[in-house]
This record gives sequence, structure tokens and C-alpha cells, in this order.
Amino acid sequence: MKKRNETVLVAVIAVILGLLAGAVMMLILKKNPLSAYYNLLQGSGLAPKGKYAGGKSMFSDFSSYIDFLTPMLFAALAVAVALKAGLFNIGISGQMLTGAFLATVLVGYGNLPAVLAKPLVILIAAAGGGVVGIIIGFLKSRFNISEVVSSIMLNYIASYIISFFINTRYVDPVSRQSKEIGQASRLTLHQVLVGGFRYDFALGFILAIIAILIVRFIFDRTVLGYELKAVGANREAARYAGIRVNRSILLSMGLSGLLGGLAGATYFLGYTASIQPKVLPSTGFDAIAVCLVGGSSPVGIFFASFFLEIIEKGSTYMSSQAGLEAEIASVIMGLILLTSACSSFILAKVSRRRVEGRGSK
Amino acid sequence: MIQTIIINGMSFSLPLFIMAIGGIYSERSGVTNLALEGLQGFGAFVGALAGYIAGMHFGADSRVPQAVALLFAILGGMAYSLLHALLCIHFRADMVISGVVVNILAMALTTFLTKSINRTVFGAASNKIDLGVLPRITVPGLSKIPVIGAFFTNVYPFEAVIIVIAVFVWYLLYRTSFGLHLRAAGDNPAALDAAGVDVSRIRYLAVMMSGALSGLAGICFAYSISAKFSGDIYVGYGYLSIAALIFGGWKIMPTLGACMIFGFARSAGYQIVQKLGLPSSYSDLVMILPYVLTLLLLVFLAKNSQAPKALGEAYDKSKR
Repeated sequence: MKKRNETVLVAVIAVILGLLAGAVMMLILKKNPLSAYYNLLQGSGLAPKGKYAGGKSMFSDFSSYIDFLTPMLFAALAVAVALKAGLFNIGISGQMLTGAFLATVLVGYGNLPAVLAKPLVILIAAAGGGVVGIIIGFLKSRFNISEVVSSIMLNYIASYIISFFINTRYVDPVSRQSKEIGQASRLTLHQVLVGGFRYDFALGFILAIIAILIVRFIFDRTVLGYELKAVGANREAARYAGIRVNRSILLSMGLSGLLGGLAGATYFLGYTASIQPKVLPSTGFDAIAVCLVGGSSPVGIFFASFFLEIIEKGSTYMSSQAGLEAEIASVIMGLILLTSACSSFILAKVSRRRVEGRGSK
Repeated sequence: MIQTIIINGMSFSLPLFIMAIGGIYSERSGVTNLALEGLQGFGAFVGALAGYIAGMHFGADSRVPQAVALLFAILGGMAYSLLHALLCIHFRADMVISGVVVNILAMALTTFLTKSINRTVFGAASNKIDLGVLPRITVPGLSKIPVIGAFFTNVYPFEAVIIVIAVFVWYLLYRTSFGLHLRAAGDNPAALDAAGVDVSRIRYLAVMMSGALSGLAGICFAYSISAKFSGDIYVGYGYLSIAALIFGGWKIMPTLGACMIFGFARSAGYQIVQKLGLPSSYSDLVMILPYVLTLLLLVFLAKNSQAPKALGEAYDKSKR
């Protein structure tokens, strides 16, 4: 219980420091940080805007925010699952692309009815991402190749190969992206008209909540979760205790890749309906920040995503209102990431202060 | 054809090599450095900006802006590397996480600043700083030698700079007491500490060296392959050079070999696409060659890697 409080405290400190640093940057650029931050809330449908276009309301913005949030939940869970076993999966972008591309080509361009197409998209994307994860895990356990290096290499390999196929076969000549998939296989019910307003219903969001609960159950209540945590805490000790370390590495990377594939499905076959060639989705990297701020616990990740994604989602609206480049959102994310990377240091300072406080009484 | 492969291969291998030497410095001192990618990008940004501004004050034929760019890229990379050093050495952050964080921040910061500065200072909405490609030089005489002559034909001036610096840093690492201290910091920091040398100071200097050399590499890529600074500079060359130094067993000369393999594989691939008359989208397939090669090489070499013994561990005096 006490440990959880400390994790929350560190996360809050990291976010506040990041936001403060961002505010300083805005002040240097002679912009008002308070109104810029309020713009972020408005852009995510958490605060009312001054005026809305026809068919739009705060709630339709919010529904689109949930749609945007869903891939991040999966991606951050993917980071957490690997991190529990002491592995750093920075290849989520590549796993997202692989899973999503396979699902797009195999299902998205077909004409299956929605009842069949949607589950198939989920299965194929999960399998595609999972296979990439298992490759990374295999290279790590069999050949001792740093998972960071191999996952980055696979990111670029996946990105270039997919961009090759998109450019040669599936390109939309106008948008220069892959052709849009059919609505039947899309995981988001896009711009549905209800009571005069248009909403995006993210079906993947329900799946993400289920995934959070499942991962939580695996870690807290199963032998598998215990073994993964043991491998993460001390690989040699785990081996000595009879845990099959190589199997654990494969499993955790496979599971992580599977979640990465689902992130890809909900992003490229949900939030968007096409893939941009040669671009690695930033969700895969931002997920590291979300996971660290969330203390790599499934529930923590839910809250961390909910708060941090406001910055990314609201940035477009903020950019148009405040005249700031939308990229400042990534800078603020980076700063939050920076402070949460120092979490053990912050934690040490906090607990030392506590001990000293007790001593003086 | 072989001549073109050598010429283009070397102009890619050498920046990769100098960046890998930076990585060797940092890692031999015990600081895992995945931040090379961000360091080269940040260095290139600072250099490109300085070169662009200098270019407005000198004539089109002047070489001064390019020299200014090179110098500022080195300084910029060095300054930004302090962040990684601070996180790893002072704040005792996980070195792998710190490296990745430093990269993500560099990417965000430089693309944001490029856009902001273009709009507010130069009054143009643009996400890049145009630099152009450096003029190439052919060494008279030497370039006439068959095959080997290609190494002296159409070279970028920075290639000579890199070779001079590489010789210097090789000497510094293997033949001076500073180099000995640096290598000791990565293998047995406690012994170094007992000998009265400040381990943290050595590690700070080593990381700064990696920042300086990566910045140099970054501006070389900006002045050759991309002809500009933009977000496109982050295509994983930093990680390639890490693979090269692992392949080279954390030693400078074998690492040069690895970098040359990457460079030649890349330029040979381009030549093949051109010779077969394939459409330009096929170059995407060539682009994966260095990455695939990295994975294959690591499969054969990572198992018996000779990594510095204390690599990745923050030095804790109290544990001595």
C-alpha cells in the first residue's frame, strides 16, 4: 500500500515537473501556458470549446478522444509486460505496423461481413505483433542480443518492407497512404449519428479494459506472472530457483508483441483506416512514458494514459488556438519521460526526507 | 561500378565509424549509451542552425559556414550529452531507459525548435534547415591507383576530418593515462577509485566525448545523405553504430571493419537497384540491408561479447 502511494507521488511529481518545464518554454516563446493547457483539455473534449462545427459537441470530441486513447492503452500495457520480465520493448511501433498491415491486407480489403471481419482483424493483428515479439525474445534468449537493438532494427525493417508493399500495391494516389479499409473491418464505428451529433465509438476500448484486467490477473494471481516478475528482478536467482528463464523471456516478449499488435489494430484499423508509409507511429515510443508514469502497473497505466494522451490529442487544437507548433506536445511528453526516468532518485529523496522528518520529532 | 560502391560506401561508413568510437568511449567507461541516435541528431541540428546563420553572412563560395557547422555540431552534441551523463551518473537512472529517453526528447525538441525558429526568426513555415551537399574533392595522383584510388576519389572534406580525429582519439584511448583511466572505469571502477581517480569525472568526460563525436557524425549525414536538417535525420544510424561497436568487440579497429561492411552493403544495394533499372520504390528494400545485416552479425557475435565488465552499472562508492 505504501509502495503504491510512493509510485503515485513520483508520477505526479514527474508530470508536474514536465508541465512546468513546458510552461517555461511557452513563456520564452511569449505564449500563455495556462490558456495553452486549457486548449489541450478543450481539444480532448474535457472542457467546452467556444464554438462547434455542425454535428460536433464536447461529447463527440470526447468520444474521439477515447478512440485516440485506446491504442495507447494496449501499447503501454505491452511495455509493462516486457518490463516486468526485465526486458525493454522499444519495438512496439514495428509490432503495431506489422499486425495492422497484415490485418489490413488480409481482412480490411476483403468484403467479409462485420461479425466475421472485426474478430479476424483482432486475431490477425495480435498474431502478427506476437510473432515479431517472439522473434525479439528468441534473439535475446538464444543469442543474447540486446532486445533494444534488435527491436529497433526490426522497427526499421518492418517500416521499410511495409512501405515497399504499400507504395507498389496498395497506395491511394491522392492521400499517398494505403487505401482506406472497408467500414466492416474497422474497429471504430466512425462518425455515427446519434441525436443530431456524430460520435466515434471505439469498440477496441472495451477490449483494452479487458486486456488491463487480464494482465493484472496474470501478474497478481498466476504462476506465470510470478515467474516473469522473478526473471525481471534477478535473472540468475530465477534460474537457480528452477524457473525456465528462456521460456519466460519468449513468453513475455510474445505477450508484449501481441499487445503491440492490438495497439496497431486499434490505431490503423480504428482511429485511422489507413497506414502512412515510412512513418513509425509515435504511440510506440510515447507508450514508454505512459508506462513509466503509470508505475508499470496495469491500473496505473490506465490513469497515466488518460492524463498524458490529453497532451497529444489536444495539441492540434492548441496549435490552432495558441499559435504554437503542435510538436510541443511531444516535447512535453519527452520532458515528463525525462523526469520519470529519474523516479528512483526522486523516490530516494522522498523517502529520505520522510526518515529525517521522523527523526526530528 | 565498384568505384561508385567504394565512394558512396565510405561516405556513409566514416560518420558511422566516428559515432561508434564515441559509443566505445562511453561504454568503455561503463556508461551504456543508446543515446547516440539523439546525440547525432541534436548535434546536427545545432550545427545546421549555426551553418545556416553563418551562410547568411558569407558568400556562396565560402567554406566558413561549413566549418562553423562542423564545430557547432561537435559542441551541440557535447552539450546535449551532458543530459545523458547527468541522468546516468548523478541521478542513477537506468542507463538503457535514459538513453532511449534522451533520444525521444532530442527528436521532439529538434523538430519543434526547427519549426519554431523557421517561423519566428526566418519567417517561413518549414520543418527543415536546407544545407545542400558538400562539394567533393579528388586527390590528384593517389586517385589514379586502380581500385584503391576510389578511396581518394570524390571524397567529402569531412571524411578527412573524421580520419584525423579518429587517429587522435585512438591514441587518446590506448596510449595515454587518461585512456587507461577511462578503460579502468568500465572494467573495475572500484580499483580506479582506490587509485585516487574520480570515477564520475572520467565517466562524464567519456560521455561528453561520445556526444562530440556523434554530433560530428550527425552533421556529416546532414551535409551528405540528406542535404538538410529535418526529422528525417533520425533513421536509426545511431543504433547501427552501436551494433557496429558490439560487433567490433568494443575495440576501435574492428569497429571500423564493421562500419565498412554496413556502408558497402548499403551502396552496393543501391547500385544493384539502379543497374537492374528497378523503380525507386525498390530502394525501400535496399534500405533494410544494413538493419538485416546488423541482426545477422549480432546472431554470430553477441554470444561471446567482450563487453566492459562494469557496463551499465552506476558506480556506488559505498559498495566498495
